[in-house]
Amino acid sequence: MSTIAIATKATKRGHIAEGFVFTMFRIGTYFVLLCATYIFLDIGIKGGQTVFQKTAPFINVKFLTEPPQTLYVFDYQGKKMELSDREFREWKTTHKEDVDVTSVSYSAGGIWPCIVGTALLVIGSMSLALFIGISCSIYLSEYARDGRFIRLIRVAILNLAGVPSIVFGLFGFGLFVIFFGWNVSLLSGWFTLGLMVLPAIITASEESLRAVPQGLREGSLALGATKWQTIRKNVLPYAMPGILTSSILGIARVAGETAPIMFTAAYAMRDEMPWQVPHWTNFFFQGVMALPYHIYVVSSKIPQNEYTERVQYGTAFVFLVVVMLIALTSILLRERQRRRLSW
Amino acid sequence: MTSESLIKAFFSSNALVAIVVLGLITIFLFREGFGFFGQNLANIRLYRRAGLEYVDIIRDQAQQQAALSRKLGEIRQLELRNAPGANLEAFDQFTGAFSDSGEFLDALVSDANDQALALREAMIASGASVAASSTTESETPTTAQAVDPKTAMATLRGADEKFPTIAEAMKAKIDNLLSTAPTLNSPKAKKAFENWKKKTRDYLANFPAVAQKLRAWNPDEPVSASRAISSFLFGTNWITASFWQDWYGIIPLLVGSIMVSLVALLIAVPLGVCSAIYVSEVAAKGEKAFIKPYIEFISAIPSVVLGFFGIAVVGQAVRALSQASFMKWVPFFPISERLNVFTAGALLALMAVPTIFTLAEDALRNVPRGFKEASYALGANRLQTIARVLVPASLSGIISAVLLGLGRVIGETMVVLLCAGNRIAIPDFTQGLGAFFQPVHTMTGIIAQEMGEVVRGSIHYRALFMVGLVLFVLTLGINYLAQRLVARYRMSIG
Repeated sequence: MSTIAIATKATKRGHIAEGFVFTMFRIGTYFVLLCATYIFLDIGIKGGQTVFQKTAPFINVKFLTEPPQTLYVFDYQGKKMELSDREFREWKTTHKEDVDVTSVSYSAGGIWPCIVGTALLVIGSMSLALFIGISCSIYLSEYARDGRFIRLIRVAILNLAGVPSIVFGLFGFGLFVIFFGWNVSLLSGWFTLGLMVLPAIITASEESLRAVPQGLREGSLALGATKWQTIRKNVLPYAMPGILTSSILGIARVAGETAPIMFTAAYAMRDEMPWQVPHWTNFFFQGVMALPYHIYVVSSKIPQNEYTERVQYGTAFVFLVVVMLIALTSILLRERQRRRLSW
Repeated sequence: MTSESLIKAFFSSNALVAIVVLGLITIFLFREGFGFFGQNLANIRLYRRAGLEYVDIIRDQAQQQAALSRKLGEIRQLELRNAPGANLEAFDQFTGAFSDSGEFLDALVSDANDQALALREAMIASGASVAASSTTESETPTTAQAVDPKTAMATLRGADEKFPTIAEAMKAKIDNLLSTAPTLNSPKAKKAFENWKKKTRDYLANFPAVAQKLRAWNPDEPVSASRAISSFLFGTNWITASFWQDWYGIIPLLVGSIMVSLVALLIAVPLGVCSAIYVSEVAAKGEKAFIKPYIEFISAIPSVVLGFFGIAVVGQAVRALSQASFMKWVPFFPISERLNVFTAGALLALMAVPTIFTLAEDALRNVPRGFKEASYALGANRLQTIARVLVPASLSGIISAVLLGLGRVIGETMVVLLCAGNRIAIPDFTQGLGAFFQPVHTMTGIIAQEMGEVVRGSIHYRALFMVGLVLFVLTLGINYLAQRLVARYRMSIG
C-alpha cells in the first residue's frame, strides 16, 4: 500500500470524526436555542390567553389597567361565578343568600400598579446610574492617566460587577433602609438598583468614549478650546448614541432584578397608586409594587391552580415582553451602531 | 483655569463611587453581621448553662434508637419486595418489641426537656445569662422566681442516675430480643438485617460511655469564643425560631449552593463551550448572525421568570420523567419532590450558558490568526486545529469564562429560591447521585426568604448578614481568580 493511500484513509477517518464532532457541537448549540424558544413559546401562548382576547379591543384592558384583587369563586344557581373583590361586594348587596365561596388571592383584577412601580424604579435608577456612570467614564477615558489610582478604580468596577444582586439587596437594606432611615421606599430602590448597574454603564460608556477618534479631540484643542469644551462639544455628542444604546441593556437588568428590591423598595400589595400621596415629598419615601416581585409573590405564595395560572402566566408574559423588547432594541441598535460607526 | 480643575475634580469624584460603594458594601455587611458572633456565643453559653446540651446527649441516644427502629421498617420493605408472600409475623413482633424498648428513654428525654426549658426561661427572666461569663456565683436569682436555677439543675442532673438504670434495662431487653431474632428469607434482607444487628450491638455497647459523658458534663464549663465562629462556619444545622435551641450553621446552605452550581455548570459548560466553538469556527456566516444575538438575548431573560417557569413546567416535567417506565433502572427514581437541586440547576444552566458562551467566544476569536493558519499549513484539519491549537491557546480565557459563569450561578437568587425546594438540610448522600434530586436551601435563597421576617438586630438578622458576607467573599474570590487568569492569558498571547 502506498503512502498516499494510507494518507487518504487517515484523512477519510479524520473527515468522519470531524463531521461527527461538528454535528455534536451543532446539536448542543441548537439545544440551547430550543430550550429558550420553548420558554418563550410556553409563556407566550399561556400568558397570551390572559393578555389578549378574541373580541374587540383584543387586549385585556382590565388586566393591564386594574390593581390586583382577590378572586371569589362560587356556585350560584348552578352557574359558576368568578368575581373580583369589588364585583363580589356589589353582588352581595343584591343577593342576600349565603354562598360557599373559595377565595384566591391576587387572581382577579390586573397588574397596573406593578407596571407603574417598575417604570418608576427603572426611570429613577437609570437616571442615577447614567449620571454617575457617564461622569465616571469621562474621567476614566478623558482625564485619567494610567496609575495606581486608576487601576484601583478599574479593579473596584470589575469586582462590583461580580457582586451578587442579593448582596446589593442586603447592602441597600443596611445603608438606605436602616442607616439612612428611608425605610422601604422608591429612593432606597433607586439607589440600590442604580449602584447595581453602575459597572455595566461605566464599561459601556467608556467603550463608546474611546471609540471617538483622537483626531476630533486634538482638532478641538488645537483651535484653543479648553478640555471641558472639547469633551462637551466634540466627544460627548459622538459618543452619546453609543452610550445610550449600551445602556438600554442596563434597563433590562434593572427591570428584571428582583432580589435587590425585595427588601428595599417592593411591596407585595398596596392599594394606593404611587401618585396618591398626601405631600409631594412622600412620593420618594413610599414603597411600590413591581412586576418581578409580583411574579415572585404569585408564583410562590399562592397555590397553583386554574385560577392562579391566569395571573401568573399573564404577569410573566407582560414582564417578559417588556424586558425582551428592551433587550432586543439594545441588541439590534448595537449591531447597527457597530456597522455604521467605523471612523 | 479653576473651573476646568473643578470639572475635573467633579468627574474624578464620580469615578471614586465604585471604590466607595465596594467599601460601603464591605463595611455594612460587617457592621450588621459582626455582632452575630457575640450573640451566638451568648446563645451557646445559655444552651450549656440551662442544661439543654445535657438533654441533647440523652436525646441523641433516644434518636439513635428511633433511627434503628425505622431501619427495621426499611428491612421489612426489602423483604416484602424480594420474597413476596413471606411470613412476617415474627418480624413484626420483633419490630414492635424493639420500638417499645425505648419508651423509658423517651420519657426521660421528655421530662428532661421540660426541665431544661423551664430552667432556660428562668435564666432569661433573671437576665443573668446573656452576656455574663460562666462563673456560677455571678448570678443572684430573685426570690420571686418560679424556678430556682440551682435546684432545677439538680433535678435535671438526676438523669445522671436514671440514665444508667434505664440503659441497663433497655440493653437487657434488646439483648434478649436479639438472641431470639426472627430469620428472614431473601438474601438481601438477611444481609441488611445482619448489618442492623451489628449496628444495634454497637449502639448498646456505647451506653456506659454515654453515662460517663453525662456524669462528666459540667454546666459551668466555659464555652470558648471560637465555638461561636466554628458553629457558624462548620455547623451542620440551620434551625431558627425553634422552641428548643437555634443553630446558625452555614454548611447546609453552602452545600445546597455548591450542589446547585455544580449541576448548573455540568450542564452549562459543555453547552456553552460547544456553542462558542461552533459559532466561532464551524457555523456559516448567516447562522452566526442569528445564533450569537439569540444567545445574548437569552441572558436578558429575567431570573424570576425562569424561576416561575421552573415551578410551572420544569419541576413537573422532571418528576414525570422520573416516573416514566423507561427510567425504572435508575435506583433513586421516581423522585418525590418536583422542586430539587436538579430542577434549579438545570434552569441556572440556561442563565450561565450566555455568560460562558460570550466570554469563551471572545477568547477563541482573540487567538491570533497566524496560529490557525500555521496549523492548517502543517496539514491539520479543522477538528485537529480546534482541539490542538485553538482551545489550548484560549484555555485560560475559557476557564475564566467558566469561573465568571460560576460567579453568576452561585450569586443567583430567584431561581434557587423558587425551584430548589427550600428544605434546610444536607441531602442524604448515601443515595449517591440521588442526592441531586432532593430539595435543598441555598445561601442566596435563605437571605431572600428570611430577611423580610426577622427582627432587626436579632441574632437571626445578623446571621443572615453573615451569610451575605460569606457569599460576598466567595464571589469576590471567584472574580479575582477569573481576572488573574484573563491577565495571564493576555500576556501569553500578546
